[in-house]
Amino acid sequence: MMSGAPQARSAGIRYVFPVLAGKLARFATRLRGGGSAFPGYLTNRLAPSLLPTLADQFRYGVVFVLGSNGKTTTTHMISEVLRAHGLTVFTNPTGANLPQGVTSALLADATLTGRIRADVAVLEVDEGYAADLADQLSPTVILSLNVQVDQLYRFYETERVADMMLDASTRASGHVVVNRDDPYLSKIDTSTMRAEVSFFGVSPELVAASAHGLANAVDTRSGNTGTVERDAFAEVTRAHGRDVTVRVGDAEAEITLPARGLHYAADAAAALTVAARVLGEDFSVDRAATGFSRMAPAYGRGEVIPLRRNPAGEQVEFVMFKNAPSLQMNLDALEGAPERALIAIDEGTPDVSWLYDVDFDVLPRVDVVTGEKAYQLALCLEHAGVDIGVVEPDMEKAVALMRALEPAPSGRQTWFVNYELMMIGRKLLGHGDQEVARR
Amino acid sequence: MSDTVRIIQLYPNELGITGDRGNARSLQVRLERGGVSAEVHRVSAGEPIPADPDILVFGNGPLSAMRTVIDDLRSRATQLSDFVADGGSLLAVGGSAELLSASVEPLEGAPIEGLGIFPFRVQRTRERKVGYILVDTADGRVIGFEDHASRWSLGNGALPYGTVAAGRGSFEHAGSAGEIVRRDNAFATNVQGPVLPLNPHWTDAILATATSRRGIVWASGASHVPLDEYAGGARSAIERLVHGKDFSSIGL
Ligand SMILES: [Zn+2]
Repeated sequence: MMSGAPQARSAGIRYVFPVLAGKLARFATRLRGGGSAFPGYLTNRLAPSLLPTLADQFRYGVVFVLGSNGKTTTTHMISEVLRAHGLTVFTNPTGANLPQGVTSALLADATLTGRIRADVAVLEVDEGYAADLADQLSPTVILSLNVQVDQLYRFYETERVADMMLDASTRASGHVVVNRDDPYLSKIDTSTMRAEVSFFGVSPELVAASAHGLANAVDTRSGNTGTVERDAFAEVTRAHGRDVTVRVGDAEAEITLPARGLHYAADAAAALTVAARVLGEDFSVDRAATGFSRMAPAYGRGEVIPLRRNPAGEQVEFVMFKNAPSLQMNLDALEGAPERALIAIDEGTPDVSWLYDVDFDVLPRVDVVTGEKAYQLALCLEHAGVDIGVVEPDMEKAVALMRALEPAPSGRQTWFVNYELMMIGRKLLGHGDQEVARR
Repeated sequence: MSDTVRIIQLYPNELGITGDRGNARSLQVRLERGGVSAEVHRVSAGEPIPADPDILVFGNGPLSAMRTVIDDLRSRATQLSDFVADGGSLLAVGGSAELLSASVEPLEGAPIEGLGIFPFRVQRTRERKVGYILVDTADGRVIGFEDHASRWSLGNGALPYGTVAAGRGSFEHAGSAGEIVRRDNAFATNVQGPVLPLNPHWTDAILATATSRRGIVWASGASHVPLDEYAGGARSAIERLVHGKDFSSIGL
């Protein structure tokens, strides 16, 4: 099935020293329990041509996943769908989406002579570094999920983020995939792209029925704040809880999402578009559905963990958010008000102005508000008319408070958390394993 | 005229990206908890401002959004300057504050001539100022988050409201910096957060002015306690963090 795949550029003996040095550095940082950026940096310095050489060896090419929200989930979806088609997939660990992190991850997978053992690379990449990294890794497919108001303290203007994605997209050699329901991305100038452009989307009926649509940023620069009409190659046509139907070309894919929410359905349409473009005629909607069914929920995205270490006892559903759109889409996806709720933000999210853009109508009560920013969060919730039980900035004490509550009749608590507190919360519940490998 | 206080938020879509509706919300909630009815109107370009407004709230947005609304804003210039001259209350944050100044000189593209309601000029800078900010004012300490790349040059008659105690600020003032400019009951600032929920004493000062101008009796009381407690907790947390925090951002 892999016949006719392009030959690898000459990897070989000249990479042994840089790869070995990088692997040793990686091993050392692992022992220290530290970050994973340094080994990649080291190897890059020792053999600057190694990275392009590694990237060249993926027979099905390199896929970049960009977007304000949903990168991790979608990277996972694409990987599983491709695996269900028999491909060996290389992917970077969650959060390691800066150049050094990507390099380190590639290095860990390479043999000492700089050979790669996977058929395809699916990489989530930070928008700010996407163009630079594309110059090194020559991606075949670049997917842009959405442009949402996110990390303004870092990016300053949302339209700059759109331009980062569109600029990176000009470097894709095979396919560009963008969200037709995103005001900025729908206006992509296809004539400036080297590659064919495919759109994915959610049916207008489903968007209209969603309380806050898809929460993409309005376009403040072109005079048209909304989208321009585009035909979608893949379109979500039905969504019911985690069960959705996506039309992919002329076929219908019936799939189960890893978590509830129209944003996850849109991510699925994006993943199916990418997989269909990567695989060409070998793409099958049945295999794609198998891939989705094998997806375990990613950490904090619909993941369920026992509250008191008893697998048969009360459970905690983690709902992770990083900004107003992701919190809003998760709130909109709730099936009724949570019986027991915790909400938490820490300094990993420095500017929380955006909290006031969220509608909390579906959340009548929160039992515990926690994290370093607990009081800012409580202040916003009080203004929104949400009933607050306790404000307790210390997450450990907050978890104890949640455990002391009368058990929920549904047997389930809902914890809304930002990334850092999701990791701490899992640890406090006895699930301290780090989110390193995606599979 | 009714006894309902009318709060107007202008250009909520274009100039409302830093949670700016929180400022309108804070005014509304504090009025209502004091037994005074309040309504918030969101007014976009091309829509008239409802008659007899009490408080105008403007928010923050990117340069492109500022360019998008400036013509509409100019068409309201007389109405707005009459409103301020009559003692109406106004709060403008970020991009909107800069449009209400004399001029904005961006790093790229043509300068924008502002409405001149506030006597200062704006120069956009390559340097970003991001982080918590504390400003000591006559109405107490104003606390929030600043995130801007601009320098304000104050002209004649510009009245700085307070002095920056920690953080960067927008203009030089009293050997330190300032971050809020006042004219009558109108305020221009780069403090976001949004600023009013976090600063109940300042919000109450604005409300006291706006209600007494209309002869409405309003005071904060017991039902404001949770709001003030949470604001207090948030403020102490920021005061603890303000010196130790560093923000990395991608340069312009
Ligand atoms: Zn997996």
